[in-house]
Amino acid sequence: MERLLTSSIHDKDGFVQKKVVHETEKGNLIICSNCQPDFFHDLVMDAGLGKFSHYSSIIQKLESFQKIARREGGRITLALVEPNIIVGYNTCWYPAPDERWSALGTLMYELAAVEVSRHYRGLHIARRILELTLDDDFFEDKIAYINGYSWHWDLEGSGLSAAQYRQMMMRLYSPFGFREVYTNEPNIALRDENIMMIRVGSRVSPDDQRRFRYLRFGIKQQPQCNSATV
Amino acid sequence: MLKDYPKAIVTQDGTSVLLRPVTRSDEEALKKFFSLIPDAEKWFLIEKFTDSELLHEWIEQLNYDRVLPIVAVVEDSGEIIGNVRLYRSSSPSVKHVAHMRVTVLPAYRHLKVGGWMILDSVKQAMDLGIEKIIAEMVEGLEDPAVNAALKLGFRQEGLLPNYVKDRRGRLRNLIIMVKNLPREWSDF
Repeated sequence: MERLLTSSIHDKDGFVQKKVVHETEKGNLIICSNCQPDFFHDLVMDAGLGKFSHYSSIIQKLESFQKIARREGGRITLALVEPNIIVGYNTCWYPAPDERWSALGTLMYELAAVEVSRHYRGLHIARRILELTLDDDFFEDKIAYINGYSWHWDLEGSGLSAAQYRQMMMRLYSPFGFREVYTNEPNIALRDENIMMIRVGSRVSPDDQRRFRYLRFGIKQQPQCNSATV
Repeated sequence: MLKDYPKAIVTQDGTSVLLRPVTRSDEEALKKFFSLIPDAEKWFLIEKFTDSELLHEWIEQLNYDRVLPIVAVVEDSGEIIGNVRLYRSSSPSVKHVAHMRVTVLPAYRHLKVGGWMILDSVKQAMDLGIEKIIAEMVEGLEDPAVNAALKLGFRQEGLLPNYVKDRRGRLRNLIIMVKNLPREWSDF
């Protein structure tokens, strides 16, 4: 169950901030999209996010959230337990200049990390976070992508194998229109279970889709082709 | 899983190739594909898909739960240039094992189409809960495929000396290559 609390604030990039209540068996959570840099001051990270023997959270400090929120196009969605505990998050941004995908400028947009505290898993929080993040017309002009690297996955905490974790990721993102694509990008190609998934916005042109397809294989020259399949 | 097909790859020379499951409408294109395989290699096909009747029979009985056949198709021409088949058993004793057979037309072998097809099968196997993929290759005849498999983490786990006969009756070794897909969690 969830209900909308607010949908009002516009940030520097014109993003709308939304807040919803997500009811779980562990109590109500507030899920809040497009959190601004000054939003994080009084928050704390739940102990289930952090450093563990076989796994470390991608974001471990509040300052990291602030830095991302200040970046152009940087977005953060948080799952909060009242009054101020972060139990889950999603960070998004444009690819860094040294990444292959930056060659297509602001067409490409990365959903960089989704993580839920070890103490709050199995409550569909990641799905709710993504729902709120992706509920935005902004994505219709983008090729949104995720890079799933198995060395970032909490296999110990989840009790899943890398193959099972990969499937879990596919199940998480598929309902939002994401699908797996192949690429020779070296980090993705490093392990079989690694996965790149994309969602092509409804206003992305066939030409842009084609440029992206060739870029996936490191090819700059683009022969004429009639297909729009990415 | 199959809903993510076709999956596009682009070869080093800029050819756009689509990987997708075989459908009944592929019969004619597959007939042409198998006819273009060199005679020396046709000899070693376990299923004689070079025989039109056998191919027709097989394609009429497609069952992705038993055999998952994927073709590589040049997007512009529609020509089938590669075929990989993942065979699964319903027996509980070997349900975790899949056998893989891959064939690529000679003109496309240097473009790593076979490598992408093997990787695609590995990912499919992983998503199907398969723990072990086995590929049998004829030594001295399928060396490019052996090399592609090695690069994708297959290991030679066996060799059957003088196991198969070529067209001239000469005995050749059969290499058994295996890729293990770990089921347990581990750190990297």
